Amino acid sequence: MTEDTIGPDVGTAAVAEGAGSEEQIAEVYERLHEVIDPEVGVNIVDLGLVYGVRVADRVVSVRMTLTTPGCPLGSYIDDSIRRALDRMPDVDDTDLDLVWDPPWTPEMMTDEAKRQLGWMR
Amino acid sequence: MSATSTSGVAPVRPAIGLTAPRRRRARWVPPMMAAAVVLLIGGLWEGLVYLGLGLPAGQPGLHADHGPLMVLGFLGTLIGLERAVALGSAWAYAAPAAAAAGGLSIVVALPNGVGEALITLGGVVLVAIFVAVHRIQASLHNVVLASGAMCWVVAGALWLAGWDVPRFIPWLVGFLVLTITGERLELSRLAGTSRVRQVLFAAAAGLFAAGLITSIGTEETGVRVAGAGLCALAIWLARYDIARRTIRGRGVTRYMAAALLTGYAWLAVGGVLWVVVGRMSFVDRGTAAQGSAYDAMLHAIFLGFVISMIFAHAPVIVPAVLGRPLPFSRVLYVPLVLLHASLLLRLLGGDAARNRVSWQWGGVLNEIALLLFVALAATAVIRAGRAQGGNRAAAANTRAVSGRGAAR
Repeated sequence: MTEDTIGPDVGTAAVAEGAGSEEQIAEVYERLHEVIDPEVGVNIVDLGLVYGVRVADRVVSVRMTLTTPGCPLGSYIDDSIRRALDRMPDVDDTDLDLVWDPPWTPEMMTDEAKRQLGWMR
Repeated sequence: MSATSTSGVAPVRPAIGLTAPRRRRARWVPPMMAAAVVLLIGGLWEGLVYLGLGLPAGQPGLHADHGPLMVLGFLGTLIGLERAVALGSAWAYAAPAAAAAGGLSIVVALPNGVGEALITLGGVVLVAIFVAVHRIQASLHNVVLASGAMCWVVAGALWLAGWDVPRFIPWLVGFLVLTITGERLELSRLAGTSRVRQVLFAAAAGLFAAGLITSIGTEETGVRVAGAGLCALAIWLARYDIARRTIRGRGVTRYMAAALLTGYAWLAVGGVLWVVVGRMSFVDRGTAAQGSAYDAMLHAIFLGFVISMIFAHAPVIVPAVLGRPLPFSRVLYVPLVLLHASLLLRLLGGDAARNRVSWQWGGVLNEIALLLFVALAATAVIRAGRAQGGNRAAAANTRAVSGRGAAR
């Protein structure tokens, strides 16, 4: 399991046949850093909401969660992700897989997010 | 997580999951939003009649129903819609649909409690939505949100049973306060994990709920206890809410925090008034003293706290519900400042000083602030939609051109 994966069923499989390069996946993460939760001003990657990314057959798949099921921000985040990935080269579509297992916990946030939100000074 | 790290995603379907958000919006969202706007206009019109502006009051029952129409009709439709879109199940749309239909039934004065029954049904469906969410992932904040929806059901049932509005109005406050604070409790986890934080919240919300229940039998005690609960919740929000951190942010984040924090101040004001005044169902609200107390106790919370929360969350919730961006602009501070300034005029210059002209100006400016916000938000959504359409067309052209290039 790579350092940015969480839970037993996330990120353990090898990248599928036809998957994108490491550079492509790095670019997806870079673009996902632009998707900000407007309420807290922190991006979804640093909030620990993104569980994994795959690029295969010109489709970006993002597996992620929200801080709680039924979160009203779900559609907003979905649209923002699609906008962020819209102009990515060699990509035709985006697929968002919203999961609740494992459940999000505040400890999943990066140190940078925790610092921004006052966990540490 | 790192921006430069890589990971693969196993093609495993989640054991429990909601539908992907993009597919959650239903075709009937825009008509329900339109119904909410109609209910808002109806409620605001009756608000102007309540302020004594000498306008036609419409059908007789409507004037008395200004409070339930605004809270359960207008806000019930919006909150139900927000939750239905989030859950994504078709049945969940029955909550906003019933609230909207019930509210419109009140406006057109359908007989035999049809409107009240439909609105109560909307509350029942909202409770079911939170039950569904709880089955996916149990949490204290979801219990608080469900409790807020239960307050809607109780208020609707008492309304249906023929109670006067002032006797069940604490339950309308309960619906909105528990809905909003439940949401804030959830977000407070982002500011750190603490058991004390949850225990203190549960104590404050429990005190408020105990006051609501007591108010059914012993109004004065119940209202005072509920008021103490409101104060405790306001203190908790001021101490633990993430807005304390995000007020140092920029743009929409800072705007949202400003709207939240000023709203909490009004919640505290409302709580203090509930404790001091101690009752809602005055014998004669037409007298200056009793009318002023009633006006201040309710509007500190409904306008100062709740509408400020609506202003705060609209830049996020409107795009989530409609699927259209609402770009933030600092001009949104104008209705926010106008709302709070006009509420100060209404409560201090009007209710406290017993000056009818100040009270009326304050009330009218409250409504202007609300309508101005709606107009600014609608304009921003329409403009952004046009710009987005233009960008899509440009992107499509670019793709078509590059596709032809590649084909050569």
